[in-house]
Amino acid sequence: MTLLIDLEELCKSPISILQQYKNSGVKVFGYTCSYVPEELILSAGFQPYRISNIGASSSFLTPSFICPFASAVIENILKNEKYFSGFIAAHTCDPMWRLYDILKKKISKPLFLLRVPHNTQNEMSLEFFKKELYRLKKFLEENSGKAIVNQELLKAIQLCNENRSLLKNIYTANKDGKYVIDAFDRFQLTLASMWMPKLEINTRIKEFKPCTKLIRKVRIHLNGTAIYDLDLIKIVGESGGFIASDDLCTGSRYFWDNVEKTIDPIQGIAQRYLTRTPCTPQGPIESRLEYINFMIKKFKVKGIITFTEKFCDPLLYDSVHLRNYLMKDGIPVTLIEYENPAQELGRIKTRVEAFIESIGG
Amino acid sequence: MSQGKERSRILETTKKIAELIMDHFSKAWEAKSQNKPICWVTVFTPVELLYAMDVYPVSPEHFGAMCSARGMILDFLEEAERKGYSQNLCSYSRCGLGYAVSGMRGIMPPPDILLTFRNSCDVYVKWWQNLHMHLGTPLFIGEAPYVLDYEDLDNYTLDYVLKQLEQLITLLEEKFNLKFDMEKFVKTVKLSDKASQLWLEILKLRRVRPCPLGGRDSASDIFPLVVLQGTEDAVKFYEDLLKEVKEMVNKREGIIKEEKFRLLFDGIWLWYAFDLIKYFEDKKAVFVYEPYSEAWACKLDPSKPMESMARKILSMGLNVDIDIRIQRFLDSIKDYQIDGAVLFSNRSCKSWAAPQLVTAETLREKFNVPYLIFEADMADPRQYSEAQVKNRVDAFIEILEEHKCT
Repeated sequence: MTLLIDLEELCKSPISILQQYKNSGVKVFGYTCSYVPEELILSAGFQPYRISNIGASSSFLTPSFICPFASAVIENILKNEKYFSGFIAAHTCDPMWRLYDILKKKISKPLFLLRVPHNTQNEMSLEFFKKELYRLKKFLEENSGKAIVNQELLKAIQLCNENRSLLKNIYTANKDGKYVIDAFDRFQLTLASMWMPKLEINTRIKEFKPCTKLIRKVRIHLNGTAIYDLDLIKIVGESGGFIASDDLCTGSRYFWDNVEKTIDPIQGIAQRYLTRTPCTPQGPIESRLEYINFMIKKFKVKGIITFTEKFCDPLLYDSVHLRNYLMKDGIPVTLIEYENPAQELGRIKTRVEAFIESIGG
Repeated sequence: MSQGKERSRILETTKKIAELIMDHFSKAWEAKSQNKPICWVTVFTPVELLYAMDVYPVSPEHFGAMCSARGMILDFLEEAERKGYSQNLCSYSRCGLGYAVSGMRGIMPPPDILLTFRNSCDVYVKWWQNLHMHLGTPLFIGEAPYVLDYEDLDNYTLDYVLKQLEQLITLLEEKFNLKFDMEKFVKTVKLSDKASQLWLEILKLRRVRPCPLGGRDSASDIFPLVVLQGTEDAVKFYEDLLKEVKEMVNKREGIIKEEKFRLLFDGIWLWYAFDLIKYFEDKKAVFVYEPYSEAWACKLDPSKPMESMARKILSMGLNVDIDIRIQRFLDSIKDYQIDGAVLFSNRSCKSWAAPQLVTAETLREKFNVPYLIFEADMADPRQYSEAQVKNRVDAFIEILEEHKCT
């Protein structure tokens, strides 16, 4: 299947691709979090589609002090339920957990909650997570009406591994202080990988031509969880910054590690998803700090910007230690909170400019 | 702030809670002086196991509630905020972190180990990680996956928690040179079960009209089930309370003089604003049921102590599927003859607050029960607008009046 997709347009309105899927008879499963293995969805014959906050504001079903991102994801699911064959949520943080509760009472399509252990680095958690993946496999089989055979699963793993390797190649082109790939392009390709058919996005990544006129700017690491609004990426560039690296789940954490070949493919998937660099609500915090430190060194970063949705508890707790940890090495950090980035771009840009100026941009 | 303001009538036994709290902390310090390990726990962790191993548990959540009720919380909150913790974070956690980073020179002894199970919220994980980072104290974070249906209390989910309990015992044995004694554990499990059964019996008596035990009592009376499960003190307290409540029932005496509206309260109480309960009571409205009060009681089977413990950790109030939680609400409407529901949208407890609206909608759809949702914080008085909340209470009481007439 080939879809006519303009990447920039897709990133502005990811929902637009859903009508094309519908017209082409492609069945789509929505998922909310990067801990949900796309491989399993693909092997069941469904197109995975990560639900973003783009195009929605906070849902009236949640209180005003709940993470506006999770709330907008609920809103997007409610608005677009008709395009999906079902949904997979994941328990990572409180709002993403309770999103499942709310959806369970509000939607009629099949819904699954993947329980992701916080302790990502022990055998017991891995065993538990594996069993959760078997439960997910069964759920998908029930919804597709056919068994997932290992051959299909291995094919899906290969496809996803190729996508991740391609994205990582693009990403690491900026290592060691190089200015090769603009962050906007990079994020665009990463986000599109969560929405487009894998074969097609893989072809696009292979065809991608880097911009040759990149200006040397202050190298920034972007810290956070999920960022879909590419205007936030743009304003860092417009303010004299170059996003050399990140630890976002819509960025490097989405593709950094591949699934390794194992006799039981579920074992490999469980290992990859659980033991990759943890998201802020998962632990241990030291692993995240180490990953950020690794990124800073590999990509010669001069300062760190944390972009966070207001009321994002995990990031707000972590930020205290991130600051303490990086201050030892003299790396400046700033935390910028927002509720609705589209309405707050001016204020956010002023903060970013001031930060970049302060570190010599 | 409720200090200096008129408060509700409370039972004679409830008045003993203050003494019990002081006794708990003095025992904690005594344990500290004898070099027994002090464990900071989040609630719904296996304190029965700790008592059986001579590890003394204290609860920073309870400490936060107590500081708030006594008007002593602001110093700790501000200390945490100076360290960079946002005002949008859980106030219990800010209080606990503020206390930890300011030298721990108060009533709660410093920890030798930090223990939590992720069963109420994910804040536990971040809070405990942050304490660990500040204090360098050993940390045990247990998992208690969301109970999707009752099968999870028997399948691989239960096994996962059981294995973690084994791991916890090994850690305590190795770290503090202790020996796990099954007999002692069975004893604490029996005591915990006894205290829970007594509390459930007491709560059941609130179904009687007039209600013998009000919201002000239940808010305080849960304390023994927070950190004293597995002790004789907890059993003794609930025996006394049950006796008093039974006497009230026999005399047909209610906790308020005239009972017109019987209310459900959903949430943790606002510890600094007990006068709000009085405000309801002055309008002849009495709180007769709170899912929060009930959540503390857990039936345990002393013949299967470890499994019981694992099930208790898993099945605490907020960690079970929303349909099970809603069913408890629905059952209470009939059992307790509820006229209206008050849902406290607690800025500190996002895990609780997030699905409250869909819960309330179900109540209205199934039983046409009016509800009030108001926003504030459980422990941070700066996030409470008294006039606004009371204004909404007035409007709600008017609705209840109209509803009674129709």
